Amino acid sequence: MAEVNQQGCLFVGEGVVLKGNFEVPDIASISGVVEGELTAKQILIEATGVVHGKLSGETIDIRGEANEFVSSTRSLIIRSTGKATGSIHYSEIEIEKGGHLHGDLHNLNPHS
Amino acid sequence: MSIFSKNSTPDSNEDKIADEQVENYSEAAAVEESVAVSTSSYEVARNEAPSRPGISKPSIISEGFTFEGTITSDGVLNIAGTVRGKITAKSVLIDASGQVDGELNSDQLVIKGQLKGEVNCEDLNVGPLAHVDGTISYKYIHIQRGGKVSGKFIKN
Repeated sequence: MAEVNQQGCLFVGEGVVLKGNFEVPDIASISGVVEGELTAKQILIEATGVVHGKLSGETIDIRGEANEFVSSTRSLIIRSTGKATGSIHYSEIEIEKGGHLHGDLHNLNPHS
Repeated sequence: MSIFSKNSTPDSNEDKIADEQVENYSEAAAVEESVAVSTSSYEVARNEAPSRPGISKPSIISEGFTFEGTITSDGVLNIAGTVRGKITAKSVLIDASGQVDGELNSDQLVIKGQLKGEVNCEDLNVGPLAHVDGTISYKYIHIQRGGKVSGKFIKN
């Protein structure tokens, strides 16, 4: 879907290293390395993608690596190749078998 | 010999009878022993022989049943009731109505109900209606969509 309308999207290709803070209105697809803060509506970390820093979004899909902080207000999926460490906040979570989770897990709305 | 003979008059004939009695007695004991052995081997066979070979019958804490204390099992444990305390088992299933509060150690753990406490397992599967809270160390994890988990997760 990102290929159809690329407005407001960020694509980080494999081998690219990005440092800084990023505000992405729509989709952020990460195949490279991001160091810093990343906020997007939808975040896809591909199998080769690595994020060091803060990751916030509505839906987050991790096939690669997310370190330090992850916050998802809608759904967080850690795929079988995915790895999430640090402080993780979510409202709905799914971890595929083989996914790697290490850290503190917090439910954003625990009484739902 | 007089100890074994019921009759107080010891003559050679009586002695022979007593000897026979002793022999019979020991024979009977041997028969009893072999019976006991065959019974226990039967029990082992029965424990290991359900519809799925190699998997023994599960121990079940039924719905409405509350257990407080320590449970240790080499086999499968199904919890549909409430357990407060320490559980050690090879495989544990916490059913949708099941609640566990305490320490849990197992190779395989499936959670469909509620779990609070310290968990140590190899293979963890959290169902969509499950609530898990605590310190969880695991080797392999699978959380189905909708499962509510919080606390510390440690991958071994």
